[in-house]
Parts: sequence; C-alpha cells; structure tokens
Amino acid sequence: MSEPNTPEVPQGEVPVGPYVYDLAASPQRQIVLPKTAPVPSLATYKAEVIAQAAADEAKWQKQLADFEIAKAKAEAEGKDAPKAPVRAVPRKDDNDLKTPWPVEATDPDLLKLQALLGDRVEEVFQQAGELVCQVKKEAILDALRLCRDEVDLRYEMLADASATHYPVGKDFAFSVVYHLTSISRRKRLRLRILIPEGFVPASACEVYPSANWMEREIYDMLGIRFANHPDMTRILCPEDWEGYPLRKEYPTVGWGQRDIDFREDRGGVLNRIAMTTAGQLGINLKQPKAD
Amino acid sequence: MGVAQPSTLEQVLITTKVEKVINWARASSVWPMTFGLACCAIEMMAAGASKFDFDRFGAGIFRATPRQSDLMIVAGTVTYKMAPVIKKLYDQMPEPKWVIAMGSCATAGGPFDSYHTIQGVDKIVPVDVYIPGCPPRPESLIYGFMKLQDKIMTSSLADRYKDIFEEVG
Amino acid sequence: MFKNEEMEINLGPQHPSTHGVLRVKLRLDGETVVSCKPVIGYLHRGVEKICENKTYFQGQVWTDRMDYVASISNNLGWAEGVEKLFGIEVPRRAKYIRTLLTEQNRLASHLLWLATHALDIGAMTVFLYAFREREYLLDLFEAFCGARLTTTAFRIGGLREDLPPGFIKQAQVFQDRFLDCVDEYETLLTENRIWKKRTIGVARLNAEDCIALGVTGPVLRAAGVPYDIRKTFPYAAYAEMDFEIPTRTEADTYARYLVRLAEMRQSHRIIQQCLDGLPEGPVMAKIPKILKSEVNEIYHAIEAPKGELGYYFVGEKGGTMPYRMHVRAPSFVNLQALPKMVEGRLLADVIAAIGTLDVVLGEIDR
Repeated sequence: MSEPNTPEVPQGEVPVGPYVYDLAASPQRQIVLPKTAPVPSLATYKAEVIAQAAADEAKWQKQLADFEIAKAKAEAEGKDAPKAPVRAVPRKDDNDLKTPWPVEATDPDLLKLQALLGDRVEEVFQQAGELVCQVKKEAILDALRLCRDEVDLRYEMLADASATHYPVGKDFAFSVVYHLTSISRRKRLRLRILIPEGFVPASACEVYPSANWMEREIYDMLGIRFANHPDMTRILCPEDWEGYPLRKEYPTVGWGQRDIDFREDRGGVLNRIAMTTAGQLGINLKQPKAD
Repeated sequence: MGVAQPSTLEQVLITTKVEKVINWARASSVWPMTFGLACCAIEMMAAGASKFDFDRFGAGIFRATPRQSDLMIVAGTVTYKMAPVIKKLYDQMPEPKWVIAMGSCATAGGPFDSYHTIQGVDKIVPVDVYIPGCPPRPESLIYGFMKLQDKIMTSSLADRYKDIFEEVG
Repeated sequence: MFKNEEMEINLGPQHPSTHGVLRVKLRLDGETVVSCKPVIGYLHRGVEKICENKTYFQGQVWTDRMDYVASISNNLGWAEGVEKLFGIEVPRRAKYIRTLLTEQNRLASHLLWLATHALDIGAMTVFLYAFREREYLLDLFEAFCGARLTTTAFRIGGLREDLPPGFIKQAQVFQDRFLDCVDEYETLLTENRIWKKRTIGVARLNAEDCIALGVTGPVLRAAGVPYDIRKTFPYAAYAEMDFEIPTRTEADTYARYLVRLAEMRQSHRIIQQCLDGLPEGPVMAKIPKILKSEVNEIYHAIEAPKGELGYYFVGEKGGTMPYRMHVRAPSFVNLQALPKMVEGRLLADVIAAIGTLDVVLGEIDR
C-alpha cells in the first residue's frame, strides 16, 4: 500500500482510461470484471429450479440404466449382481440460514399494478418479504405516477433510488431501482427497470422531488443521464472528474487522479534531508512491494 | 541532533535566552484552527470538552479563521475535492505555523484506499506531528499536542531558514 | 434610490458550524437569502466501491465511518441487512442487547446534536454539559466493544460476545442520573427568550414538503407525521418495547428541538425496558464461516437518529462480497430540503437550519 505510484505503461497493453496506472501492483488494485449479471427474477429462478430438477432426474435415470446394464452383464458372466443404486438425498446444513427465494406475487398491490400497467410490467414477484415489480424502461414515469396517485396504492415517499452496473447483461447494462414507501399503509415497494448503455430514462423529479440528488448521484457514479432533470451535474466527485467510479471496470484506487503533490520542495532540499537522516539512522528507504 | 559546527546562520545570530522565552510563549498559547473533517473531529471536540480539557494547555480557543491561528489540526479524511481548500487555508495561516495530522486518514489515507482519497495530508502540507488511531482517543491527541509543544520548545529561530542558508553556504 | 446588488458568498467548506465539510453557495440581498445551493462531495471516500471488494463480515468497518456520530446505528443497519439477505434469525438476547446499544447510541447522537446546534446559535454552556453526559455513554461503548466512536459493535448473526460484567450496573447508574440532566438542558434553553427568538418560526418545512422531498426523522415528526420505522416496520427487539413517538405540528426549529428532547426521554424509557427485561440465551446464531450469497437483493431500513437509514444489497450466486452495496443516508436526502427551508430568510437562519437538520457529512458523501 505504500508503494510509490510510478506511472509505468504495462508492456504490450493499451492502457484503458484517461490515466496510466500500474495495474499489477497489488490484488486490490486489480479490476475483476464479474462473470454473471445477478438480477433477481422469478422467471430465471424457476427456470433454474426446473433445470436443476431435470438434471437431477436425468442423472438418476442414467444411474438406473447403468445399473441395469451392469446387472445384465454380471448375470451373463455368472457373477454376483452389483449393488443397487440409492437415490442421493441432499445434505442438510446445520445452521440458521434460510435463504429467501423469489415466490409468486400474491400481494394486492402488485396485482393492482399489473392490472393497471398491463403488458408494460415485465415481472412481479416477492422475495424476502419485499414486493418487487420490474417494468419496461419507457414506462417508469407512468408507474411512479400511478404508485403515488392511485387511491389503493398511495406510495407517498421515494425512499431511495439507486443503480447497478452489469457488464455482462444480455441486452441491458444497468438496473435502476426505486424504493417506494407508503407511510399511511405501512408498505414498501421496489420498482426496477433494466436499461442498456446510452439509454436516457425519464427523471422521477416531477413525481417525487426527492429524486433530485439521488439521480445526480447515479449520474456521477455510473454515467446514467436522466431526461428533464433540473440540474444534471456531478454531485460527489468534482465537476472535472473523468470516469464513472461505480462501474465495474473502474478500479477502486482510481486511475491516478488522486496522486497529487502540492508541497513545494525547493531544490529537493527536503528530500535530501530526509534521505541523509534516514541513512544516518540506518533506515532502509526501499519500500517492500505490497502483497 | 548533535550539530558540532554551528551553521552560517548560527554564527551570525546568537539567540539563547530570548529564544527560550519566545519558544515558551509560543508553546503555551498555540491557537488551533477548527479543521475537523470527519470522525476525528468528534474526538477533537471531545478533547476540547469537559472531561479531557484542552484549554489547560492554552490551546482552548479554536479560532475559526486561519488568519488568527497557529496550528491546523487536520482531523479526518482528506479527499481530492478538499485538497486545494486545505492548501489554501494553510497558505492563509501566518508564520509560525504547525500542522498536526490527527488520525490514520490524515496520516496515510486510513482505511480508505479509494479513488477520491488522498493518502495522507502530508502530500499537500508539511506535517509536524502524526497521531495514529482511528479515531485516536482524546488522550492521544493531547499526547501528540504535548509532543508538538516539545518540538516548539526545542526549536530555534534559525530552523525555519536553515534550508535556504544551507543552499547558499 | 440605492442600487440593490446581490452578493454571492460561500459558507464553508471550512466553517465552524457546517458540521463537517459542507459548502453552501449563498446569494444574499443584504442579509436576506435569495438563493441557496449546497455543494457536497468534500468528504467522498468511495465507501460503496470499497465495500464491493470486502466480504460481508468485513464491510461493517466502513459503515462506522459514514455517520460517525451514531456508529452503532450504522452497524445495526449493516448487520440486519446482511441477515435479511441470507435469511439469518438472530437469537432473542442478541436482539435485546442490540436494541439497548442502539438506543444508547441514539442518546449519544442527540446529545452531540444538542451540543453543536446550541453552540452554533450561541449557547456554549450546553456544549460542555452535553459532552459530559456523552462521556458516560462512550465509556459504556468502550467497555462493550473496545472503541468509543467507531465501534463495529455487531457481528452477522448476533454479537461477538455477551455484555461484560458490570455493564448493566454502570448503565443503570447512567440511567438514574440522565433524566435530571435532560431537565437541566431544558432549564437552560426551553424557556430562554433568546433561544425562542432564534428558533421559533425559523426554517419551516411543512408535512407535504417533507414527504415530497423524502425527509424523514425528527424533521418529519416535527411536521406532524408520526412516521418512525421502529413502529412502522419493526426490527430488532422494538416490537416488544413500549414507547411513544413524539410529534409536534409547528414544523420549525423550536419544534424539532422539542421533538428531539422528547425522543431522548423515550430512548431512556426503552433502555430501561431493555435492562429490566434482558432474556437469557445465546448471543450468536449458527452460521457458516464463509457466507456465500444467492442471487438476491434487499433493502433494509432502520431508524437512525437522523432519519431513515437504508441499506441496499445485491448479492450474486456464490459471492462472498456484495455485488452492489448502496446506503440511503438520511442526511443526504434531508439536505435537499435546505434551500426550501431557507430561501427568503436571513443569513443567521441558515446556520440554525443546518443545525436543526442534523446533517453529518460523513454519510452524505459516503
């Protein structure tokens, strides 16, 4: 961690990003791109469960078939029959984990949303006690307006808006999530849209003014612009920052913008004093390579 | 720090008793600037409050403006956006001035090894005393402050200008 | 006759009353504020990005440093969020101890709020009185988890170890003297003519503006809406506790001051119930040493002293680290309301408004 940041171009590689940085210095400085796009969804979960059950069944059938063949072979040769296969029972873990899986939507709010928006709703389900509704990306403003104004829904407050980057998503690159709270009815709801790179979703500011800074933060961190936003500028990073930090291809330590040095060192005097003093005290100033 | 041969400046200037009085006066009334950035600021406030009284060192008056303060206690994380501000405030402080880097964020970036955190305030301003801890207890801050007082008491008027004179002669 | 020129000045980022590094761009017409624009980001440390590279157990360390005034609330939000993501049930004794520590932390945070708010408005004695009480609480935290301020008090699945011997007795000693201290602060401020003149009618924010802007916490409760997550969506041991939600209707600085003082008394009540009714049992659930998540996302919100603190986790299949961790910081959303509270008022009201919103820049900038 105390290695000096020497901007060396790695041989044979084209540096990605505006600044050159030595990527191989330590494991924390690596960029590890994720291999999956974990968007929770009832459809994919069901597909997985069905696929898993089918694979198990196929494996069991193959075991039975192999046993039949081996039995026939043993009888033909006059040997004893091999042991009959026993169906494998999944091992039960001895801990207090109860993983919440997605289940069918039974809550009246979700059903009402589905009825009102029709085919613009891509999916509704419930998971871990939370109501989730995924809508088409063009329909998000209508969905938010319905949630606030419908007399049965009445989700008065937008608690949180945030987004995630999925670099290996099939036809989407980001997921933007809105968490709504109904104070009068004591309920929470999550609305999600999946958007590709470059899509400009409608801003929620006209329905929920609290989305103002939340969307600025999403723009700052991920680069998703919102249409009709009163002030679409960076909020956390300085105005002239390059790059979008929360994207998966952005390293945690950045592209070298933080390596500034304002101190005036008149003719290298401070440096020289430090080196001679360290030499007198016997300190080895060559820093060990981190990790 | 055994200097056998007095340097050029010290051959010219003889400041002993006067120097001791000036140093004692400076060390007994170091006025810090309120520069709490993050969590360490809360411990700095606690150090200034009733249980760990900072006022008994003569440093109780935290001046809000850099123009009237001697000491800048950088308490908290220094970020890229805040760095020019820190430099400007340091430049606005009149001589003699000292800087204490309080906490591990100001010393070396702390637990935040990220794209927006400067790894230590000594990349921006020269620091006299480093106080490790996350956050350091108020007793640690007081210990660091007493070390700074020791440094002030044993410093000489020639120290500040030694660099220039070494270059010349 | 005289030409009115507007003056654009900067409040901060280095200013004794900005509670951290907050910069407010003010445009003034004399002493009246014409427009006010807060600029944040001077403490942006990239905590969300850092936590993507840390396991679910390790990430708690960075949550202390966000709202550094009330670290234990942040830790509770993280621990409960991860437990919701994995479906872990925490034993009952652990829930009670967590509630006890969180309420003591709420007291510590409100005491610091009172100290800095009063200091901004000019009452310096309250600062020293409130920090005197805070030291008792910080000693208790240090006895439990070893650190005064940035605590990392809880673990996924419960607590690391039980309360140390003597903790309950010391907590009871603090309990017995605390209500008199609150009365002491009230005698200093509540009927004080200067305090009332500085705070009544200042920085008004009525209920529908609060809800539209997403403002939660004592600001919303002082506007008349009894929304407290401890009662609406109970977590930890709050469902078994008996307490009230103080509300007022005037929605100005004085009302928020009274609401927070009343909340301190209610917290005192909850702590007493926790101390009296502490159940026996284990303090840690049985969980595997390495937590691997499924494809899952949750949003868990708790009532921090400043408002609704929410944690949003996205987990990937077989991942030991969160795919995405987002924190809904109450001060971040509350600060959006500052222009609305202050435009058209005087410059001194800006200071009172920042103090009454109780903003902590650590969680705004993350």
